[in-house]
Amino acid sequence: MSDLDDFKATYFDECSELLTELEEQFAAIEAGERDADRLNAVFRAIHSIKGGAGAFGFSAMVGFAHAYETLLDYVRDGRVELTDEVVSLCIRANDIVADHVNAAQSGDDLPADYGADEKARFDALARGDSAEDEEGEPIEDFDIEFTPVMVNLDAPASGEAPVADAFEAPPMQAETGSWEIRFTPHRALYARANDPLLLFRELAALGRMQVVARLGEVPPLSDFEPFAVYCSWEITLSAPELSEAAIREVFEFVDGDCDIVIAQAGSAPFAGASFEDSPAVEAAAAAQDEPDLSSLLALTEDEMNGGPLVADLPEPVAPPEDFAPEPEAAPAGAQDAFEEAPALSFTALAEAIQPAPAPQAAKPAMPAAKALPAAGEGDEGHRSVGVQSIRVDLDKVDRVVNMVGELVITQSMLTQQMDETLRARYTELVRGLEVLAQTTRGLQDSVMAIRAQPVKSVFSRMPRLVRELASKTGKKIKLETIGENTEIDKTVIEQLSDPLTHMIRNSADHGIEDPARRLAAGKGETGTIRLSAEQAGGNILIIVEDDGAGINRERVLKLARDKGIVAPEITPTDEQIDQLIFAPGFSTAEAVSDISGRGVGMDVVLSNIKKIGGSVHVRSWTGKGTRMTLRLPLTLAVLDVMLVKVGGGPYVVPLSSIVETMQCSRANFERVPSGGRVLQVRGEYVQVIDLGQRFGLPNAVAAEEQFVVLCETEGSQKVALVVDDIIGQQQVVIKSLEENFERVDGIAGGTILGDGNVALIVDVQGLRSTHIHQNAA
Amino acid sequence: MEALSLRDDMSDKSAAAGQNSLQLIAFSIGEQTYGVEITTVREIRAWNGATPLPNTREFVRGVINLRGTIVPIFDLRARFGDGQTAPTKNHVVVVMSVGDKWVGILVDAVSDILTVNRDDIHNVPEGNAIDTELLNGIVTHDNRMVGLIDLHAVVTGAKMDG
Repeated sequence: MSDLDDFKATYFDECSELLTELEEQFAAIEAGERDADRLNAVFRAIHSIKGGAGAFGFSAMVGFAHAYETLLDYVRDGRVELTDEVVSLCIRANDIVADHVNAAQSGDDLPADYGADEKARFDALARGDSAEDEEGEPIEDFDIEFTPVMVNLDAPASGEAPVADAFEAPPMQAETGSWEIRFTPHRALYARANDPLLLFRELAALGRMQVVARLGEVPPLSDFEPFAVYCSWEITLSAPELSEAAIREVFEFVDGDCDIVIAQAGSAPFAGASFEDSPAVEAAAAAQDEPDLSSLLALTEDEMNGGPLVADLPEPVAPPEDFAPEPEAAPAGAQDAFEEAPALSFTALAEAIQPAPAPQAAKPAMPAAKALPAAGEGDEGHRSVGVQSIRVDLDKVDRVVNMVGELVITQSMLTQQMDETLRARYTELVRGLEVLAQTTRGLQDSVMAIRAQPVKSVFSRMPRLVRELASKTGKKIKLETIGENTEIDKTVIEQLSDPLTHMIRNSADHGIEDPARRLAAGKGETGTIRLSAEQAGGNILIIVEDDGAGINRERVLKLARDKGIVAPEITPTDEQIDQLIFAPGFSTAEAVSDISGRGVGMDVVLSNIKKIGGSVHVRSWTGKGTRMTLRLPLTLAVLDVMLVKVGGGPYVVPLSSIVETMQCSRANFERVPSGGRVLQVRGEYVQVIDLGQRFGLPNAVAAEEQFVVLCETEGSQKVALVVDDIIGQQQVVIKSLEENFERVDGIAGGTILGDGNVALIVDVQGLRSTHIHQNAA
Repeated sequence: MEALSLRDDMSDKSAAAGQNSLQLIAFSIGEQTYGVEITTVREIRAWNGATPLPNTREFVRGVINLRGTIVPIFDLRARFGDGQTAPTKNHVVVVMSVGDKWVGILVDAVSDILTVNRDDIHNVPEGNAIDTELLNGIVTHDNRMVGLIDLHAVVTGAKMDG
């Protein structure tokens, strides 16, 4: 069973990617980019989700996805117009599919009629006369992707659904508008996991078609290679309004694996010639009720007869039934025609080839089947060409990151061992070490890049959230996202989802006003939430901005006083009031809505962000809006630090928080009544923390020889750390103290220096808060 | 109680030592000998300094780098309330696993590997406050008392206010 679980896990991974893709595509479609590429991408995403769902037996999802897919198919070939209404229905449908996926993943059951309304609307849109019944229908192409062996799960009935419909739908046209297509696959077509049958089906959906197979290339039995393609086809497609591009598109996947000649009927008279030079089988459709397709299937079935060869082998590669789609649909005439062709006695063929070649032949077929998902994902072709990826356990990557960290340390340790005499004597060694240093740095950068991911994966979840919020609150809200390709370490991204959700909820619920109030305030009816990401030095800034009413400071302060968060005698500044929304247990919502207002949300934001070494800052402009800024470290694993000495021992201060350093003798200290010191920097008074004193370490140097390290903490609050000496700047790998010990106040973690000793990382933010605590006590 | 769980720990580990016997690493602090179960010991290394941790009790000597992992070092003498050890190169750190954590304890010297019979483990007499808390039991070996260290107890309460 664990195999199946693995496949399931992969499927859900892919689903989440596909859902992200859907969001993206619809964002573009909504913005007006209604081209065929986007629709195709949407169609394929849904199709892939449906395929996997079918394979795992998530029948509710399959049913819904199938109805959705049918609508998309109609939209794609223009039978249903892509109106705004359809777009919003589709977006809603995406959400439902996402819910289905989530439910399947968590093993929950959705209500049986979940999405039934939407489904009904699909059906209504997809024409009342289409007699298809999606319920319980097996689904076309299970898309091999998620199945462990190469079993073509091609189930007969539903694949025809759109196709068969196509035969009924467009009225027959005169031959004048027809296209002649000559489709000559290369030998390796199957090896690339392509199936002509699928192409023909798609073509058949475009119009009425006649197909002639040319079998002139089929070699004698002794030379027959069961996995090569020997046939070529001539297709006459009656579809007057069809453009050449639309036909080309059908062949998009096999581009490069075949030769295609497309011509308007009459201009390229190759169709007739074929009958003379090959034992061709003409399989023209005679009547409406027996579409051309069935004859095609007959051909394909024979093509597929490679299947039984394989199936006879000990390796159960493919049961023949699965390989041959709809054998009963093959008209007897076509069968007979094949029997007569001398080179094509398949029984004999099977006997001749059975013992040896098939196993080897079967092998390449397996990777081919595996390759299909990749092809499926990249199918939108030109957009993702060349982007290849593999899935790797994060654990494995982390192990590499750790080892590289060790390597960096060892390397700098080696470098430090080189004194002048050694340098002079062993020049080769020195050179080698220099190269090693470079390579190590390069390796480190590359490894970190593996972990970096675009914030897109989190941002893409937000449009849905905003839609839901808008519909629940009755507000009109537009979400703009900027900089979604900004990359951050994966661990940071994982921690980002919850805070962002809360922040956006907050903006939608408390920030943006309802349409009437917006109009009264002279603003547009639709409020805007802008979500942006940018890199700023060693940090990533994530900004959630709205053009709503801004924070109601009076109410915030009153509430804070009522809840005892702010003492009555203290009058906080505007900025401090704004920050109060992050205080635990604080909520300004007058009524507790189901969106926000439980007073936990913004508190969660702060704690989550703090946990990953980031900070949150909020600014608000009354009547104009609110801006919340998350400042996050680029990566959690490597930190740029300044190495300082306190009480004779090394400590490191994260460089990202350091504003400036200065000598104590030149610093402008002032005494305050509590006995502490404050530092005056450019007219600003900054709290001073003597690290030696704070850590209970003996004074190693005279006060005037000490240094001040000015740091910035949350909300632009500054704090001045007094240290004995400043040693220098370097990159370090963060090591957890908690792993083998426990949290220590004022220490954010440890790191290992070049000499192999441990240095402690100063928790500037933590120091500041405990300091305040102590002062208060 | 503690002795019992120790026995459970043993059951699947050192079958070679026999069902009812227990192998100990014995080390000394001053004149006194203590022991820990051999299967918990990961490594024994010479004292090579440690980075002190602020705001911790005096028996926390600091942290060391053990092949890229930060491991805290506890001064066993200080833990027993006899003041900090003044460590030299001859002092020894015994690295052990306690639960899922690795810790080092600083001792004067490692003296022996002892095999004792489980039935010979005595309870620690009540009343002697610190020892009762920190020892699992007492065995006699060569007419000397060997205190079995309760590692969990040793490594807790490291914070100033703890």
